[in-house]
Parts: sequence; structure tokens; C-alpha cells
Amino acid sequence: MALAVSPISTLPLWHAALVLAPALAFGVAALCVARCSGTESAWRTARGTALAGIALALLGLLLVAAGYEGAGFGQRADPLGAVVTLLVAFVGWVIVRYSEHYLHGEPRELHYVRWLLVTLATVFVVLATNHVLVLALAWMATSLALHHLLVFFSERPAAVMAAHKKFIVARLADLCMAGVVALLYVAFGTLNMDELFVAAAAQPQWPVSAHAAVLLLAVAALLKCAQLPFHGWLIQVMEAPTPVSALLHAGIVNLGGFVLIRFAPLVAQAPSAQVLLVVAGASTAVLAALVMTTRISVKVMLAWSTCAQMGFMLMQCGLGAWDVALLHLLAHSLYKAHAFLSAGGVVQRNAVARLAGAQTPAGWGATLLGMSVGVFMVMLAGSAWTALVPGALASPALWVLAGIVALALVPLVNGQALVRAGWRLPALALGAFAVAFTYFGLHVLSSAWLQVPERAPITAMWVLVAVAFLGLFLLQSLIHTAPRSALAQRLYPWFYGGLFLDEKFSGIAMRAWPPVRPTAPPVLTAVPVRTLSASISGASA
Amino acid sequence: MNAKTTSGQPPSDALSRHIDSACARVAPTWPLDRFIAVNPYWGWLSQPIESAAGALGTLAGSRLTLPRSWFQAEWAAGRLSPDDLRLAADRAVAPTLDCAGSSADPASRAAQVESLVQEMERAVALGAADSPATCRLSLMTDLRDGFGFPRPGLSWSELVTHQISQHCAAYFDEQQAAWGMDPAEGLYGTWRRQLALDYGLPWQKGRADLSERVADLPASPRECIGWALRQLGITQEGQEAYLSAVIFSVSGWAAWCAYLRWQARLGTTAMPDDDHIEQLLAIRLSWEGLLHNDAPAGAVPAGWAAQWSHAGAAAEGLVTEQRVDWLLQHAIEIADQQRVIGGLTHAGPAAWADAAVAQPIVQALFCIDVRSEVFRRALEAADAGVQTRGFAGFFGLPIAYQPLGGALLRPQLPGLLAPTMSVTESLADGAMAHSGVPLAQALASRRQSALRWRERWASFKAAPSSGFSFVESLGLLYGGKLLGSTLASGAVPERWEDAGLPEGAAAQLRPTLPLADHDVSAAAALAHGILTAMGLVRDFSPLVLLAGHGSQSANNPHACGLDCGACGGQSGEVNARVLADLVNRPAVRAQLAGLGIAVPDSTHFLPGLHNTTTDDLTLFDTEAAPESLAGAVQALKRALATAGSAARAERAGSLGLGKKADNPAALHQALRERANDWSQVRPEWGLADNASFIVAPRTRTRHRQLAGRSFLHDYDHRLDPDSKVLTLIMTAPMVVTNWINLQYHASTVDNQRYGSGNKLLHNVVGGQLGVFEGNGGDLRIGLPLQSLHDGERLRHTPLRLSVYIEAPQAAIQGVVQAHAVVHDLVVNGWLHLFSIDPASGTVAQYWKGNWTSSGGADGAMWADAPRQRAAHAMEVAPASERV
Repeated sequence: MALAVSPISTLPLWHAALVLAPALAFGVAALCVARCSGTESAWRTARGTALAGIALALLGLLLVAAGYEGAGFGQRADPLGAVVTLLVAFVGWVIVRYSEHYLHGEPRELHYVRWLLVTLATVFVVLATNHVLVLALAWMATSLALHHLLVFFSERPAAVMAAHKKFIVARLADLCMAGVVALLYVAFGTLNMDELFVAAAAQPQWPVSAHAAVLLLAVAALLKCAQLPFHGWLIQVMEAPTPVSALLHAGIVNLGGFVLIRFAPLVAQAPSAQVLLVVAGASTAVLAALVMTTRISVKVMLAWSTCAQMGFMLMQCGLGAWDVALLHLLAHSLYKAHAFLSAGGVVQRNAVARLAGAQTPAGWGATLLGMSVGVFMVMLAGSAWTALVPGALASPALWVLAGIVALALVPLVNGQALVRAGWRLPALALGAFAVAFTYFGLHVLSSAWLQVPERAPITAMWVLVAVAFLGLFLLQSLIHTAPRSALAQRLYPWFYGGLFLDEKFSGIAMRAWPPVRPTAPPVLTAVPVRTLSASISGASA
Repeated sequence: MNAKTTSGQPPSDALSRHIDSACARVAPTWPLDRFIAVNPYWGWLSQPIESAAGALGTLAGSRLTLPRSWFQAEWAAGRLSPDDLRLAADRAVAPTLDCAGSSADPASRAAQVESLVQEMERAVALGAADSPATCRLSLMTDLRDGFGFPRPGLSWSELVTHQISQHCAAYFDEQQAAWGMDPAEGLYGTWRRQLALDYGLPWQKGRADLSERVADLPASPRECIGWALRQLGITQEGQEAYLSAVIFSVSGWAAWCAYLRWQARLGTTAMPDDDHIEQLLAIRLSWEGLLHNDAPAGAVPAGWAAQWSHAGAAAEGLVTEQRVDWLLQHAIEIADQQRVIGGLTHAGPAAWADAAVAQPIVQALFCIDVRSEVFRRALEAADAGVQTRGFAGFFGLPIAYQPLGGALLRPQLPGLLAPTMSVTESLADGAMAHSGVPLAQALASRRQSALRWRERWASFKAAPSSGFSFVESLGLLYGGKLLGSTLASGAVPERWEDAGLPEGAAAQLRPTLPLADHDVSAAAALAHGILTAMGLVRDFSPLVLLAGHGSQSANNPHACGLDCGACGGQSGEVNARVLADLVNRPAVRAQLAGLGIAVPDSTHFLPGLHNTTTDDLTLFDTEAAPESLAGAVQALKRALATAGSAARAERAGSLGLGKKADNPAALHQALRERANDWSQVRPEWGLADNASFIVAPRTRTRHRQLAGRSFLHDYDHRLDPDSKVLTLIMTAPMVVTNWINLQYHASTVDNQRYGSGNKLLHNVVGGQLGVFEGNGGDLRIGLPLQSLHDGERLRHTPLRLSVYIEAPQAAIQGVVQAHAVVHDLVVNGWLHLFSIDPASGTVAQYWKGNWTSSGGADGAMWADAPRQRAAHAMEVAPASERV
């Protein structure tokens, strides 16, 4: 399929202002809050701003949907930006509302509100801008503002350590982005994205600098998306209040994916970057998903899940399945924000699970049967969509991803489930079909709307992905059916230890740039003081 | 410290004893799904509280009183007066029972009092400036930290705690992780295996070296403890102290292990005992040994091992330093006691006689929980025909509850007891489905199937290879969930216990005791025991309301901590409904009459549930009430609604809703929304600020504004000539109230060790085991900061419980002397015990073996002295303006 990058129209000033308006609103609100003396007025400001943010984002999206797209005055109005802006505005509103009660009475409540607003403002700039340098700076500012939230409990050594680790990784990513800015300018002579994409599409033979720029962009995205082995910070920032985790996992860590999709016209022409994304993303997705199953605390389990999901999203970018990647970004944000904010309810959810009692794991036969049913349902759904919209499902990447859906359906349609279903069997089959049908449907819809270039991925890449996920499925089934088997028990310490990657990375990073540790609480350093020394010497004398 | 050993015994026996006594120091913690209050100092009961504080300070670095700066603030605010100090000093120098006869020279006593008062005044004047520093003897991890951290920013103490804590979590977890370790080798065995394979530990000489050392550790935990002590050079005299200090350094998981041991010893598990706590000790001690053997030259000072032999002396030194803290603590308790005593004394026998005449239309039984006090007062004010009574909210039923068709069997009784019978659910009328299968059975199998699908769906969501596709295809739906959770709702949520039941089925189910069907005489004997303990043996009203209580909060890992502790951290609904069903059965009543309790046919027992978050009181099974009582039930409903409004208005200020106190509808709505608010970290105040336990007829406390700070247990000594009921009260509810009181106390004075820190960081471990604060660290036990503090000030004033019992002193003293636990609690200062003279209302404290007058009709010393103090206003002020 040929790349269709045509020049886009110029935005009028009012529209550019509207695109930037959420960022401005949150920025101004942050300034107002800095002047607030009471928490009540600060929260009122934040609540109002968040609601206004949703209204502005919704308006922006409606305009884009009505065909008012373009770039101008440094801003971009396009489906990608508009939809992610609405996502961030919505998640931001949820988090503001949640934080107001949750943080009530914290000594540094005002500090929190201020930096929450600043962080959101910088995210909106990333989403709105048409300029690569502005994007790089805003992305850096997001990380710096977030840092204030991550060290909300600055007296906790673990919080400071995790934030410091994040700081190191983020600065590495910033260095990459600096390289991206410089190299893109060298290669194409402009930093305005609309011009950049046209220029890049016009050049069949790219200079080395252009390839290097896109490769660096992929590296930056991998770093910011906490891919192995740079994932440690994401796992350890549970040292910040729950809504900060929700914000981070739902609105910030996925900016790496957003930026890649934003630069899709460039990435689609850079095979080296694609290979890097697929290899790093797929391996993180597979490994982190397995590590996730060994985690013993709810938030850390969620963090590993994010790490895996980000890997999956980046892998989809590498495969050129941009629309699915965007869908993943949006759906994952909503899902993960909810998962974090409702993490406290896990006790009750587990009580319900205990009400159900222990379930016997499905055997291999049942699993294989489930696999075939899953594949059949996916094929059926795919054919249905192909019949409805010819050519919609042409890319092999999409079929690989659909294969992953087929494997995913196994818990619902394995032999055990089918036997138990009884008269519900048709409903079950229909349910499985519906999931697959929805999956393809969402793809068809989003690709039609997003209009990102779609290209067949490098064959080796989709084969690699297929093998990786089949491997994941088989390993998972092994662990599930025979958790005490020799292989499962042999692998367990490795996955339980997170493959020891973070320890290795931290060892190097922390030595290169040691953290400043807050004064430890007295319990850790307590040594005998006057009472003890006096009485001991008295006793021994 | 009693680390004395007889030289004649073989060392292994001595070591075993030291291990046992170190482990016995640790009190259990219950899992989050049955989170009940525990006195974390339970293992220290046999020592005076001051000595326990000295030992805990030396070995764990813990304090049992708030810092002096707090007393200084109380002094400045007028809540602590010179009179209180004087009384505390007076009590301190009071002669003990042994030398009571040879009364000391009054002049020298006065001088002693004077000097103690001056000492206290100096302490409150200087405040924090003069507080003794927190101190504990150093462990090997502390010594190593003094010589450098294993990794930049990470100390050995943190690393060791983290390693052990993560391992314990993985070992004990049955819910969170889908992929776990094989626990066959035990806690210690799996720990050795995992440690040897840990490539992430920063060991100077490399992982291979560490693996070798771990492989060389003895295979049995006890032998390992012996090995480590030999390596460290800890002699017998110091072993108990050292082992205690070591186990306290992982106190959270130690408490979990102590829970497993507690359950085993209660007989609720297959094994008669449980040794996980010893294995944990062996693990922590292995680290000490490993770090010792690997220590750089000079890291271990020469006298380090020897210091443990002098731990007892060090603790005594700390006791001396803390003497003034304990005097101040007692003084502030006296300040509070006086307000209560003043009220008790003034409600004289006249009121009693007055109430005895009026025959109530409703007798309403509430849990002794402090939250009932507010509602009871409001209910009595709403309808003069309602008499309220207090009894432990599990209503004496030793039951476990199994929801219909569910695999869960949940204890519904205090943690001190093991359930002896189980309660199931049945349909009201025993209907049959078309196929001839009992409807209940059909419902159970439908539910099992529904729950299985739920689980299957959960595994679709969570399995590693499914999660990606789940998120992509259905993740967007969570936008709706986010919206729904964010927008406030006052709707009453479905009970999770009803999950998987078809629409409307839950309303038809009723918990019942199978015993009542199978063995009527046993059921009647049970009912007889319960009614006798309640003192409800005659003068039955037409309606008897049995009001259990439960809390309503969303997204709250510690939700069970707000439920009824007497019901094992659950809602009291099941117990109330089961007991009502039991005593409403004609067959049971017939047998009861034979046993001496004649319940008139015109009397009906009605179960209800007091929602302590919203102060709604819901009645159950009203359709079972006879027609003749329909009017009375309606009147009761109206009274309950009025009482709810009044109780809400009283509580509004403390919840930051003071502005709505005058608008009942808005306040009600606000509280209902609060109960559903997923971001609310202070749904209600639970049992915060509890301070007293009053065991007396309600007439003694009626019309007294006790501000929701008193546990109230009804007791009429005239019905209990042989003190059987009194014994029951002092050995069970009094112990439970002590557990609650000291849980709040410990969480307040040392949240680091006995509290669970900030809810903003809570991270549930193993689905139910407990929480981490943040990433990891030790398991956190006790109450979160948000349950004790409102952001501006402490909502719980840490005062030891004052127990007031209206009974003859000889009877009370008899129970104290006959029961070791009660004796320890009273004599060692873990609570204050007072008697109320039934005739005169005089209050006396059981102090150092004597009954010392504490005011009353002739008690000029205590109650009647006119005192100019701001705090006096507290008695009438709403809770919001207190403290």
C-alpha cells in the first residue's frame, strides 16, 4: 500500500487556540492554585478546569470529526490528537475528582494540586503541538512536573529512589529526543510536523540522519514506556499516592505510543526502528506478562501489566498496525486508570472469588480444543468483516494480532467451559464470536477514521510475533495446568525475580548518578543512645 | 526481660524456651477480609505496662505513649489540669496491698506527691525538648548500615526486610499471584532455595559465594537459630532479648505467623500447632548470621554480642526515663475518667426506679460498640417506648456462615473463639422447583454455575496471553465505569455475599441455624444461655429488636475493620437474623419455658442492621412479625428514622459535614454518597476515641451524653447471684474492648510498627493478607493513619480503657483473682477497673489490690470539685468541637 501523506490544510487562529486551550486552561489554573491559600478553593479551581478541559476536548473532537483538520500556529488538529486529548481530559477529570477526597488532610495537598495541574498542562501541549522541538520540551516538562508528584512523600527513601530511577531514564529519553530534533532538522530542514511528513514522503531515499532520527525516536519511546530493562521505575513508583499511579499509567507512560503514532509517517519508512520496536515490545510484552502472574501485591501486579501492555502497543506500532495501537492506548488507559483507582476493592473481589471456590484447571485437551474454537471464531469474525468491508483486513500483521485474540479466548471457550456450558453453549459461542467481531470492528472503524498509513510489516517481524505469543500461550498453559511441574518451578525464581534485569540496570545507573537519600526514619538508624549506653556500662561495671 | 537460664539444663532446652518466649511476644493480626482489632501487646500482658514499654523501647524502638509535646499541647489547651497531675501522683505513691496495713508516713507521701507533680509540670513545660530519644539495641543489619549500604540509597535493614517480606508474601499468598512457588518445603526451606537463586542481591563476593553460604545453613529452622546465635556469639543470658529484637524487626509478618499459630491453637485448622513464626525467626536470624560472617573488619564492635545480656538493665533504665511519661498518661486518663464518673454518679437510683415502672413497647438490643451509644441515645429520645440494651453484637452465637451454594465458610464471632456450628441460608417457605428439587438446592447450583462463569471471565481478563486482547476489545467500556464511579451515588449497593444469585433471590433467602431444625433442645439450651447472658430473662416487650451493625464503604481494604468486631469483622446481620429466628420458633420457646425463661406468645424478635456509616437501621424479616404487631413495627420504623437523623446530625461535624447538620435530607444524602465514594479514605470514624466500657443497667447511663466513646454492656447483678454472667463479661467482652482500645492506642502512638501508615500508599498483599505501604517493606498491621487523624488533629485520644462495672466489689474482685488474663489486664495496668456501687452510685478503682474511692455520692475527692477547665464543656459539646 502506498503512503498517502498529502499536505494538510492550515488552521485558522481560533481553531489553533482551541487546540491549545486545554493546555492553557490547566496552566492558568496551576498559577491560580499557586496563589490559593486554602485547599477548598484550590480543588474548586481544579475541578472547574478539569470539566472545562473535557468540554474543550469534546469540542475539538467534534470539529475534527466534522472535517476541520489541519495545522497552523504551531498546533495540530487531527483525529489522533483530538481523541487522545479527550482521553487525557477525561482521565484528568476523574483523577482530580478522586484526589480531592482521597488526599483530604494531607499536609502537602496544595503542592499536589498545583503539580497535578502542571503535569496535565504539559501533556496537553505534547498532544497539541505541531512542532517537534516543542513536543520534545513539553514531553520533558511532563516528566519534570510528574517528578514532584512522585516524590509527594519526599521523606520516604523508597519514593525518592524510585523517582530518581525514573529521572535517570527520563533524561536518557530526553537526550534521545534532542538527537531526534537535531537529526530531523538536518535531514529535512524543518521541524513542523506537517511539512516534515510531506518532505519525508517525497524523499524515496532517506539520508542516514533521517533513519538515525527515527531510530532514536523509537529508543525514546521505549525508555518512556518503561520497556525492559528500563522498567524498574514504573514498578516502584507505587510510593506515590494511588491517583498519581493512575495518572502515570493512564495518561503519561503511553505518551511514547502517542508520539510514535504521531510520527507514523516517518516510522513507517524506517525499518530499523520497526525492528527495534517489534523485538523490544514483543519481548517486554511476553516476559512482563509472565512476571505479572508471579506478583503478590495488587499495585505491583498492575504495574507489570502496564509494562507488558505498553510493550504490546509498541509492538503494534512496529508492525504498522497503527490504528490498533491507538485503540490499545485508549482502551488500556481507561482500563488501567480504573484498575488503579479501584485497587482497594481487591479484598472484596477476592472474597467473591472465594465464594466461587477453587476451580480445577483445564487440561491440555481442553486447552487445545479451546484454541481451535478460538481460531475458528476469529476466522469467522474476520470473514464476516471482509465480506462487509472488502480489503479491510489485508495486512498479515492484523491476522497475527487476530491470532492472539483467538488464543485469548481460550479461557472462555476451552473444553471445560464447553462441557459445563450445557444449554448456554450457543450463547458462549456467540460471546466468543462477539469479542472477535468487536475486535475487528473497532479496527475497521478506527483505521478508516485515523487514516494513518498502513504498510505490510517485514515478514520476519510478524512471524517473530506469532512465535512469541504462541510460546507465551503454551508456557502459560503449562503453568496453569501443572503449576508444580519441574519446568514451572524451575522458571519460577527467574520470573519472580523479574529476571533480575532491574537490579542490573539499577546497579549501573545508581552508581553513575547516586540518589540523594532523605534522612532515614529513626527506626532504621537507631543505635543505643544515652540511656542504653549508661545502663549497659552500669550493668557490666 | 526474663532471660535467666538455669545452668544445669542442657542448652538446647534453654534455647527452645528462649525461642518460644520470643515468639510468644508477638500478637496475631487477622487478614483483611476478617480484620478485627487485636491488642498488639498481648504477648506482654504478664508484665506491668511500664516494664513492657521499657522492653519494647529497648528491643523494638517502640513507644507506648505519645511524645511529651502532645501532653504539652493538652496542658496548654486546658485538657490536662494540675488536679489531674496531683491525682496521678497520688495514685503512684499509693501503698500496695501488701503494705496497706502499715500506712506510710502521710507527710512523706505528700512530699513524694509534690515532687512527682513538679516533675510532671517540668515535663509538660519543656515538651519535646526533654523527651528521651527513641532507642533500640542495634541488630547486625544496623551495624552493617553504619559501614555502608549494599547499594546506593538502599540500606541493609531495608534490603533484608524487603527480601524476607517479599518471600513471605509469595509463600503465604493464595489469591493474588496466578503462578506461585511450591510451598512443600516450608517457609524456611523455600526461602533458602529462593535466596540461593537470587541473582539480584548485591553480595560483595558474588552470588556464588552467597549461594554456598545459604547451602551451608542448617536444614531445620531451630538448628539454624542455634547456628546463627553461635556465629554471632550471643550467650544464653542475651538470647531471649536478642531473639525478641530480631522477630520485632519483621513484626508485620511475625504477626501474620502468630495469626496462623492462633488459629491452629483455636483448633480451626487441621494441625494442632503452627511453627511458621519460628521459621520466620530462623530466616531473619540467618541474615544476621550471614551479614556477621561477611562483615568488614571493625563493623562489629567488641561489646555488641554482650550487650544483649544487659538488655534487661537497659530496659529498666528506659522505664526510669519514661516514668514521667506514664504519670502524664495516667493524668490525662484521670481527666477523662472524672467526666465519666461525674455523669455516672449523678444518675442515681431514682432514675432506676423511674425506668423500672415504665414497661417499654420495644426492647432494642444493640452491640456494645461505641457507635451504638450515639444511636441508642437518639432512639431513646425519639420514642420513650423504646428501651435500649447493650450486648456483644454476635449475640452469643458461636457460628460460621456459609452463603447458599458458596464455598466460603466465614466465622461470625470474636477472634478469641472458634465457631462450633455453621449457619446456612434457606428459602423462607422451603418451596420446590418444578423438577421436585428443593428450590434452595436449585438456587445453589445456579449460583455455583454463575460464580464459575465469573471466575472464567476473570481469568480471561487476567491471563497473560488474554490480557492484551481483553483490553483492546473491552477496555473502552471502562470509560463508563470510571464515569459511574466518579459521579456520586446514594444508591445502596448489592451485598457481595449475594454475588451470583439471580435477581430478587437474595431477598428471599434467610440465614438459619440447622441446629434449630434438628435438635430443638440443644437449640433451646443455646438460646437460654444467650438470653441469660443478655439479662433478658423476664419482662419481655412485645417487640425485641436485635440490631447488629455493619459499615458501608467502597474500595476500602480495611472495610472489615469498620464492621462488627464481635462478628469477626463482618456485618452483624447474619447473627441478628439467626438469633431472632431461633427464639421466635414456638418449639424453642416451649423448651425455653421449661428452662425457666418464659417468652410470652405476644413477644416477637425482630432482626435489624445498623449501618454505622449512614445511621440507617434496616429491619429484616418484618413479614414474619404477627399482624397484631404491625402498628408497633411501623412506629418503630418511624422512631428509627428520627433517631437516624439525630445521630447523623451529631456525627456530621466530625465528618466535615457540619454545614449540613441542620438539613437532614441533604446530610443523609451526603452520607449515603460518602459510603459509596471510592475515593473516600474516612468513610466513618469507626471506634476512634473509645475510652470506657460501662457494664451496668442502661438506667445508669441513660440521658448521659457519652459522645460515642463508651462501650455499653447491660448487666444487672441482681440476676446474677453466682457471678456467672459477670465472669463471662469480664473474660470475653472486656477482653475484646481491651483489644480494640489498645489497637487504637498502639496505632496512634506507634503507627510505624502497630499501624498501617497512609492509605494513599496502601497496596493489598496476597489479596487479603494485609497491606504494604508503597512498594514493599514489612507487612503493615493495625489501623491506617486516616482512621486516627483527620489531617489536622488526632481523632483518637490514646487513653487506656476505663472499665466501670456496677456490681458488688467482692464479685468483681473474685473474677479478677480467678482469671489470670483478667488479673494481668487489671493489675499490670493494661486497663483501669472501677466498680460502681449499685446502691449509692459511688465509684471506686481497683488499684494496687485495694478499692480506692474515685468519687460518687461521698466522693469529694474526685467528682464534685468545681473545676475551671475548657474540657468540661466536652461533655455536652458535639463531637465536632471536641479535642
